[in-house]
Amino acid sequence: MFNRRTILMAAVAGGIAMSSQAGAQEVGMSSTTTATPMASSLVPVTDAMLRGAGTDAKNWLHSNGSYAQTRYYPGAQINTRNVGKLKPAFVFQTDMLESMETAPIVVDGVMFLTTSYNHVFAINAVTGEEYWEYKHKMGPITTYCCGPNNRGVAVAGGRVFMGTLDAKLVALDARTGKVDWEAQIADPDKGYSETMAPVAVDGKVLIGTNGGEYGIRGFVKAYDQNDGKLLWTFNTIPDKGQEGVWATKDATGRDMHRDIDAEKAALAKDSSFYQTLGGGVWMAPAVDLKTRTVYFVVGNPSPDLYGAIRPGDNLYTDSMVAVDLDHGTYKWHYQYIAHDVWDLDAVSAVILTEAKGVNGKMVEVAIHGGKTGHVYVNDRATGKLIRFSEAMIPQENMWTLPTAQGARMLPGANGGVEWSPMAVNPKLHMVYAANLHQPMTYQVEAAAYPGGSKLWLGGSFKTIASEQQWGRLVAVNLDSGKIAWGVKTPQPLIGGVLATAGDLVFNGEGNGWFKAYDARSGKELWKYSCGAGVNAPAVSYMVNGKQYVAVAAGGNNQIDFKRGNSVFVFALP
Amino acid sequence: MNSRISHHARLTVLLALSALAAPVSAQPAPVGTPPEKAQACAACHTITGNSTNPAYPVLAGQTFRYLYLQLQDFKAGRRYHPSTDPSVATLSSDDILALAQWFSAQKPEPTGFMPDPVKVAAGRKKADEVLCAMCHHGGFTGQNEVPRVAGQHYAYVKKQLEDFRAKRRTNDAGNMTSVASTLTDADIDNLAQYVANLN
Repeated sequence: MFNRRTILMAAVAGGIAMSSQAGAQEVGMSSTTTATPMASSLVPVTDAMLRGAGTDAKNWLHSNGSYAQTRYYPGAQINTRNVGKLKPAFVFQTDMLESMETAPIVVDGVMFLTTSYNHVFAINAVTGEEYWEYKHKMGPITTYCCGPNNRGVAVAGGRVFMGTLDAKLVALDARTGKVDWEAQIADPDKGYSETMAPVAVDGKVLIGTNGGEYGIRGFVKAYDQNDGKLLWTFNTIPDKGQEGVWATKDATGRDMHRDIDAEKAALAKDSSFYQTLGGGVWMAPAVDLKTRTVYFVVGNPSPDLYGAIRPGDNLYTDSMVAVDLDHGTYKWHYQYIAHDVWDLDAVSAVILTEAKGVNGKMVEVAIHGGKTGHVYVNDRATGKLIRFSEAMIPQENMWTLPTAQGARMLPGANGGVEWSPMAVNPKLHMVYAANLHQPMTYQVEAAAYPGGSKLWLGGSFKTIASEQQWGRLVAVNLDSGKIAWGVKTPQPLIGGVLATAGDLVFNGEGNGWFKAYDARSGKELWKYSCGAGVNAPAVSYMVNGKQYVAVAAGGNNQIDFKRGNSVFVFALP
Repeated sequence: MNSRISHHARLTVLLALSALAAPVSAQPAPVGTPPEKAQACAACHTITGNSTNPAYPVLAGQTFRYLYLQLQDFKAGRRYHPSTDPSVATLSSDDILALAQWFSAQKPEPTGFMPDPVKVAAGRKKADEVLCAMCHHGGFTGQNEVPRVAGQHYAYVKKQLEDFRAKRRTNDAGNMTSVASTLTDADIDNLAQYVANLN
């Protein structure tokens, strides 16, 4: 970590010496593996396969398992009775010692995984043999918060799709790793970057953007899978009406201590800030093909902590949003926190499932795990909030406004549930969420928009040395919002959860442990030490009748967990 | 956070030992040919950016993006230092690109700073608390517009933190002025000791 050296990739273009800046920070190592020919078993991924992924025990075709994003693996070969015998089948080491957030995709026994700085590997999902590696040639300018991460690829047809730190969407040939096409999504010089896994659906590739810490104007865009042509854009900050309804309470009914009169006066003087109001979309959208609707949550307003220069509710920040799949047009939104000045935004991926409605009948819902520590259950058709869960981690002094010297409030700005995707066991009507507990103080600092090139928090947040940090894996009953069980972990949790039909829940920790729990009780049934932070969501798949569980152990930049470079794959002996 | 602490403790010992053992090296050979405008910088920073005067920052190995933006800020008056050559105001964007490219491509050398292990340990603890690595990256290697401060001159880092705290330096979009506002003199001393020891 501390011996990382700047390695410049000198490039001279048009007489102007330019360095690949992200490349400049990349740990360069020469490859020592020998690529083997791509498996003949790999066939193009059809729309039917993608639609049926939720019940396909053979493949793992979406970063969160299916368009519903339940992260529920339907196979049960590995289950509560035998998981104690789980052993490593192989470990695949990448050439990149940096945080790993990848959710590997598995197609016909071929695994596609990513690393920091946008390397993609195709490997044999049974033996770990490498088929190819793609190293993205980074552009001269990158601007991103929270690490050079990547959370995985999407697949469709014969292509693999990845968003890049220099804000491109790249389509690769799945058999060779060669670039088929590239599209520039947005300008990295203005704070745009990509770390999320895209979603391939119905001939399109859906992708959002990072940048809420740089004063971007967020969006979700749809591209044509065949040629990278832009099909539609939904701006997460509307041209008009970001001020919303001047909400004084959050989704749970707590007062947020806004000075509405002062905000209205400020808005009357200047409303042009909507173009730098933030609203990134960090995680893959969910898709309901029946209603042709795309669901996602929108991140924090810019700047994070200094709200005086962005009066209004700041729609659609900190909201769940539904848009039309074919045209990207608005359907509904539900805002959890209006005029957020704590960065307690909406990040973790939306999940589509079912739960009891207000009248006791089962209804289709869209759920989200908030940095507030609540799981929110929204009606999928209208967006209306049906219920929110008990708080999964301590909450204190909500909503104390940030001060210049720092005001203590729990949860800290990382959550609750950070980007970590949750998992659902539909049989048990339970959702499983990886939580952080990091007590923090919130400080505000007046700061004008710096032009997109500099981090723009409008203050800072700091942990409190005298207060212990920890994590908590929590099971929430979707029908009641009650906590069914919770397991406290020695370190804050970040990375995400996998649930399986074997009634198991898999979750990793920053200290290197990867663990399996009984989905009903939370009893720990198995663990394995991976030697570096397990801060990525696990996946599961089956090849030749044998179930495997795969997870990356690369540590984490945001919480500074020990870095690694490996994907661990487990199976029964 | 036990594993982190033990990791950092080992790290600190290793770094302390290596820093003590490392003599101030002769100036390394430049990587490539310096742009003409770099000569004006060399008086204080040396031509490779490995300044020997602790008041002037090491530019060698700094992130390209940070150097580019800081030069733009000097040019526009958003950042000021009396020793910075007035000709910075006449630099073109191409000049600034070339200078940022040049200094970021040079190899940083140990400064020869003699650490105080107690202060280094205290600085590491404060850095964890203040979440420095969230922006400066693990090991303080910097990323994009957030500077590398690992191995930077102790005196320079100390002065920058003091300047941020006093709002004498304000080209940080409010981030470092906020972070520094609650730091004590001892915190700043310890943090500067800590990062000056990193490689």
